Amino acid sequence: MRRLCRRFRRATMLAALLLAQNSHAQAPDVHLSGFATLGAAVSDRDDMWFYRSGLNKPGSDRVDLGSDTLLGLQGSLKLGDSGDLTVQLLSRENTRGNYDPRIAWAFWRYDVSPALSIRLGRLRVPFFMLSDSLNVNYANPWVRPPEEVYSLNPFSELDGIDLLLRLPAGRLELELQPYFGAGRIKLINGGTAELRDVRGLNLALIGERFSVHLGHGSGRLAVDWGDPGFRALSTALRDAGGDLVTLAERLAGRKGQASFSSAGFQWDNGRQLLIGEIVRRRADRYVNSAHAWYLTAGQRIGAFTPYVGYARQRQDRPVAHATIAHPGLAAGFEAFNVSRNDAQRSITLGTRWDFARNAALKAELSRSRVARDAWGSYFPRDAGGTQPGGRTAHLLSISLDVVF
Amino acid sequence: MHPARHIVLSALLCLLLGSPAVRAEFIIFSSANSRVDALSHEQAEQLYLGRRSALPDGTPANLVDLPAGPLRDRFYLLLTGKNPGQIRAWWSRQVFSGRALPPREASSLEEMRRWVKGDPGALGYLPSGEATEGLKVLLRLP
Repeated sequence: MRRLCRRFRRATMLAALLLAQNSHAQAPDVHLSGFATLGAAVSDRDDMWFYRSGLNKPGSDRVDLGSDTLLGLQGSLKLGDSGDLTVQLLSRENTRGNYDPRIAWAFWRYDVSPALSIRLGRLRVPFFMLSDSLNVNYANPWVRPPEEVYSLNPFSELDGIDLLLRLPAGRLELELQPYFGAGRIKLINGGTAELRDVRGLNLALIGERFSVHLGHGSGRLAVDWGDPGFRALSTALRDAGGDLVTLAERLAGRKGQASFSSAGFQWDNGRQLLIGEIVRRRADRYVNSAHAWYLTAGQRIGAFTPYVGYARQRQDRPVAHATIAHPGLAAGFEAFNVSRNDAQRSITLGTRWDFARNAALKAELSRSRVARDAWGSYFPRDAGGTQPGGRTAHLLSISLDVVF
Repeated sequence: MHPARHIVLSALLCLLLGSPAVRAEFIIFSSANSRVDALSHEQAEQLYLGRRSALPDGTPANLVDLPAGPLRDRFYLLLTGKNPGQIRAWWSRQVFSGRALPPREASSLEEMRRWVKGDPGALGYLPSGEATEGLKVLLRLP
């Protein structure tokens, strides 16, 4: 207890010192804000679960409150005239099936000049056009960004450094964001995935109505799948010996190379909006290579913004190729490849209702068709039961988004 | 013009003109002892969209906002062309991506004037016609 008090006193002193740097010597300039979503999703399939790959845990109740519900709190403390500390806590269902809050942001920012900022700490990796507002559903038109595209890269945080360079380009603004760092996520069934030596560049051209985004990043990939299916397959391949040991080493390990590219645009004239994005993931092992895109059009009618969108993900290369003589092993290997493929296409119809300041209610209906050799964004309810491949599913999602 | 449409338009116009928020043009102002004498529309827009964090002379800008309401909405529409929904979505992106801190919200016009007077880096906005003693007008809108 005494140690805790001492630690607390030390923290208070440190905070006081930091605050004293504030040149105006006014009250500490602290800014607190937050965002939250209460969401529910229900599918017409009773043989498979809707699930957000790499983000949450499949399987709960018929009405799934876990896929979209979240709470984020953010605090920023201004340090002097050109620096600040920002911390964001996020609580949402994770791959372990609980809502333990985690630190989604924790960085120190320093403005070298009005055009250049440097940030150090835990940052958001700008792999996608909308990476920045990934959890801030209020800022997006849909209940959630299209799964076909946004499931292709579950790494959203990076412990590292980035630069934000803003350059005027006529009436437009060009933003360059180089970044470097490492990220780690937990997968279902106790698995983990890691990206190290991630380096990339994000480029955005921002206009009043129109903005364009281009991004590319790459790094070293380590994956440890935790699911029983993988464990059984890996053991069997190693036991079989020969080439199959090499094959097992291509399914999980610490020697992968992966890259991710994205290009997108947003157009919004105040009445109509159009958003599109295309992404590609390439990996030499452990995960498959695939590309995906979506296009969404919306129309504001008073407080309502109905929208319609199409999205598709296709596999370019499975996790691994192999010719296996043993039929049981061959089937197990095939099933593994299929379960690591999120390919599907969907059409979504929905509306946003801005019924109050800082709050929006959204409802959308998606019709998805999972590719034959994939699980898409679905997960079989029983391991030996219906497989998602080739199935059609309807998903109704309703969410209440707020910012405060 | 179709007579029905004419009536609708006139009604709309009455409705709009009836609200003081809409009739008002706005001024963007600083403290009288600010080192900046004027802002271009573009500079002001970038500041109030969080895309620029300093005044033209390099002084870090401390933006002040009016409380949420029709005056603030009208100001942003005039300055940025964005409707209230777009502005809120835009600012939530800026804030929650760690790009910018939002303007400080004053509880009244009076508080906004007081804050700006006491800080050479502060910027505020008022409907034109409001008292401006001790303040420097940097830009008139539209």
